[in-house]
Amino acid sequence: MKRLLNTAGGRRRAPGEPRAIGYLYILPALLLYAAFLLYPFGQAVWLSFVHWDGLTVATSAGFDNYRDLFTDPALRAPFAHALLLLVFYSALPVAIGLLLAAALSRARVRGMTFFRTVLFLPQVLALVVVGVAWRSILAPDGLLNDVLRAVGLGSLARPWLGDYDWALPAVGVVGTWVGTGLCMVLFLAGAQRIPRELYEAARMDGAGPVREFFSVTLPGLRPQIAVALTLTIVAGLRNFDLIYITTSGGPGNTTSVPAYEVYHRAFETNQVGSAAAVGVALTVLIFVLTVTVSRLVEGRRS
Amino acid sequence: MTTRLERTVTYGILALFSVIALTPVIGILSTAFGSQNSLHTGFSLPEGGLHWSNFADAWNRGHFGTYLGNSVLVTAAVVAATTVLAVLAAYAFGVMRFPGSTVLFYLFVIGLTLPQEALVVPLYFDLRYAELTDTYWALILPQTAQSLAFGVFWMRTYFRGSARAVIEAARIDGANSWTTLWRVLVPMGRPAISTMVVITFMWTWNEFLMALVMVSGEAHRTVPLGLAFFQGQHSSDAALLAAASVLIALPVVVVYVALQRRFIEGMLGGAVKE
Amino acid sequence: MGRPRTGSRGIRRRAVPALLAAGLALLATACVPGTDGSMAYGPGGGPATAVPDPAKAGKVTLTVWDQEIRGGTNGELEQLNKEFHRKYPNVTIKRVARSFNDLKTTLKLAVSGNNPPDVIQANQGYPDMVSFVRAGLLAPLDDYAGIYAWNTRYPNTLLNLNRVSADGTDFGTGRLYGISQTGEYIGLYYNKDVLAKAGVQPPRTWGEFTESLARLKDRGQQPIQFGNLDKYPAIHTFGVLQDQLAGAEARDTVLGRGPGFDTAATKDAAATLADWTKRGYLPKGANGLGYDDAAKKFSSGDGGYLLTGTWQLADLKKAMGDKLGMMTPPPASAGAAPVTTGGQGLAWSITSRSKHPEVAAAYLDFITDEHAADVMTAHGVLPAVPGAAAERVKPDTVDGQMIAGWKRLSAADGLVPYLDYSTPTFFDTITAGLQGVISGKTSPEAFAATLQKDYGAFMRKQRERHAAATPSPAEPR
Repeated sequence: MKRLLNTAGGRRRAPGEPRAIGYLYILPALLLYAAFLLYPFGQAVWLSFVHWDGLTVATSAGFDNYRDLFTDPALRAPFAHALLLLVFYSALPVAIGLLLAAALSRARVRGMTFFRTVLFLPQVLALVVVGVAWRSILAPDGLLNDVLRAVGLGSLARPWLGDYDWALPAVGVVGTWVGTGLCMVLFLAGAQRIPRELYEAARMDGAGPVREFFSVTLPGLRPQIAVALTLTIVAGLRNFDLIYITTSGGPGNTTSVPAYEVYHRAFETNQVGSAAAVGVALTVLIFVLTVTVSRLVEGRRS
Repeated sequence: MTTRLERTVTYGILALFSVIALTPVIGILSTAFGSQNSLHTGFSLPEGGLHWSNFADAWNRGHFGTYLGNSVLVTAAVVAATTVLAVLAAYAFGVMRFPGSTVLFYLFVIGLTLPQEALVVPLYFDLRYAELTDTYWALILPQTAQSLAFGVFWMRTYFRGSARAVIEAARIDGANSWTTLWRVLVPMGRPAISTMVVITFMWTWNEFLMALVMVSGEAHRTVPLGLAFFQGQHSSDAALLAAASVLIALPVVVVYVALQRRFIEGMLGGAVKE
Repeated sequence: MGRPRTGSRGIRRRAVPALLAAGLALLATACVPGTDGSMAYGPGGGPATAVPDPAKAGKVTLTVWDQEIRGGTNGELEQLNKEFHRKYPNVTIKRVARSFNDLKTTLKLAVSGNNPPDVIQANQGYPDMVSFVRAGLLAPLDDYAGIYAWNTRYPNTLLNLNRVSADGTDFGTGRLYGISQTGEYIGLYYNKDVLAKAGVQPPRTWGEFTESLARLKDRGQQPIQFGNLDKYPAIHTFGVLQDQLAGAEARDTVLGRGPGFDTAATKDAAATLADWTKRGYLPKGANGLGYDDAAKKFSSGDGGYLLTGTWQLADLKKAMGDKLGMMTPPPASAGAAPVTTGGQGLAWSITSRSKHPEVAAAYLDFITDEHAADVMTAHGVLPAVPGAAAERVKPDTVDGQMIAGWKRLSAADGLVPYLDYSTPTFFDTITAGLQGVISGKTSPEAFAATLQKDYGAFMRKQRERHAAATPSPAEPR
């Protein structure tokens, strides 16, 4: 899930002189990469144009599988859920990270290494483990409900993962937990590289914390924001593990997401063509969103 | 300039978020030492001493010994293959100029955005056709290919940044491109390489979907998959489940604590350094 | 590799957004192996005429996939596996056990993979068993059924649930593709202490049962313990409710000859389920509670009743001892014939590519014969065909209650198959629908309509298949 997109710099000309031997160096990697990544993706595109149950003969489907993405509510819903989840996986972590970076940018912090290690920790845990831990927190007699009851909000307690209205946000909160540390670490590092003079100048102009944030911190963090959005969006759309462990798409279909739907259709309900179409659509969605982010937020290069 | 209040608030905020980040982790740890007889399905505190036996039980009942062996083998193979292949390719992309290099490089970069979910379906049917499902190859080959996207991108940045002067000097000394790479650039690039190694290690160790699809028997199962099935069987045994989770997360967490700078650097993809 | 012939495909392919030009360049040759059906296998298992002797089979490893992870069935199966190995030291049983849900999600991958297990436990009905048969992944067992006299060991009503027509179209008729080890029915477990504390007698009629729910609730007890996070448990609860209203009708519907699901019984049963949830007879937030967690709660005294399968008996008894009682869901009037959801455990089937079908058949026979029945009884498991040991179980014990219930149900023909057998997608449809009903999001009418939509569409498809098949008699592919 965490394979990341980067704004690969297309800077200048490649240095070094022409050398045909370069092909030899690239060849082994390219062969493996083409055989197990590019070629299967081509096949996924091809599969998305057939009806196939994975067992018997495939028949042509034309654009049926793609049309279904728009007309079949059972396929539209996962994409709607995925977009809503992006609020939790991407928007919230970035927003929280920014606020904290703003609050923290004024002070020098001792023990930053420790805090950074801790805050970033959720990123390195296997999502399967994260899922197991949060399933426990969100259980009917789990930590969250215990805390709510302890502070007199027992009426809010509910079986979070089994509640029709709350299961999706509950899964989303797990994503927020995973992503916030990443954004904070990214922004804190970025904020430290914003020249102090800019802050001093702003203060001399009589800027309060709010204006300072919008005129100095936010513009200074643009590249980091782009990276954070890209990383969290990609992670948020590839959240198969978490859904599989926590809800398997339930209750009803309220937490089904494209990543889960691909698996469910391809390997459980024998709709391989449709699964491939969902996978390809997911790729397109990731591609469009990440390109949009780098255009909008980063802005500087085309 | 920094007032006392500001400092307090700063540390307060950091502490609060650290607590939030750590709660599930500590919850699992504490439950892992709890009693198996506990009725609680949520986190629990160990009562009546630490139940170290949970780990032994999870180890035996969940076959985690075998799974850890599989995970180690697959991870080692993926990391080794990725490192060698990525270094070679990135070297060419970084310091040589030849027709088509830009297009080829972007071909690798595309791999960073391609979701596994789109690949896993055809991959499964291909590998089944090649009679490779339920073997280590079915885990190693696709994951190496996916790691290459990051590896090539990451190492190319390093080779780009390595001083031209060093390369020139090596050439004047009569070194060819092969010896320049292994005698000069690779030893110099240890930090960059170790970052790539830890990131690849973490991804491969934590990989779930590929293992779920490619491996159906017990023999080649990796630890994340083992945990998922363990949860299916022992969903009401919170202590055992937590102990199993700890066993799985531990290797990555240990490496992470030791090399956190490398992890963060790698996962943020050089954005911080740039 | 025969790609489907498509006149317009060339043009359409060019219309695909040139998202990843390079990736698509490879598309020209992209063709997934097996899309031409080359992975489909014809029914295997050569004709067997004599009782196979596994001792002469040489060194054999038999890979067995099952979902018997609970105390009782796990113990009984481990013992039988050990005994089988002792009897045939040349045969090693490699057992892979996982939960019902995990088995369901991975079995399709496994049986169509390169090294399919020899023996699997397949869920009956259209979602699993029929689709495996259609793909030629299971071996027909009719020959073995004759050799080992399975035909006479089991009553036909049970055997039929393991039958699929030779062309892989119909469930409940045709060839035999599996045999079951255990009998199963959804029973009403009760905690004697909790009932006594609330002044409730174990109910003799459905009316007494529903009245007691209100009483338990008034006394501050959880009337029925229930957890539905795993989705499938509600099929059982709902099934029991529907059976009380129209059991025979439901059975006909599952077997493809009934009135379907847009019926008063379906709606009324769903309404009762919603009503019980609203009144708190079922725990609030059951959708968020795991099935095993609910059982654990019940066995620790939280809940007066538990409506679930006989497979839970051994684990519950271990935790509760004499406090546990169990009965068939009480009939409308005292002493009347009971009716409930059930039948038999998942079918044990042999995969068509097993290299040792005869050893596998011998294994199947071994774990289902009279001796096996007695081993099951000793482990608190209900055998499909109770043996001598079952006769000796004291009737006032909970095991005795379970066996007596099974006998009454069999005599009265009171077993209604699990509803998820109905269509290939019905497991998903009904589990999602029931979670909706329990949460109050889905009205009983909408629920019935959703079920009927799935069921009706499948029935139309079946009729088309039959119509297409009539001119030439169905042949195995």
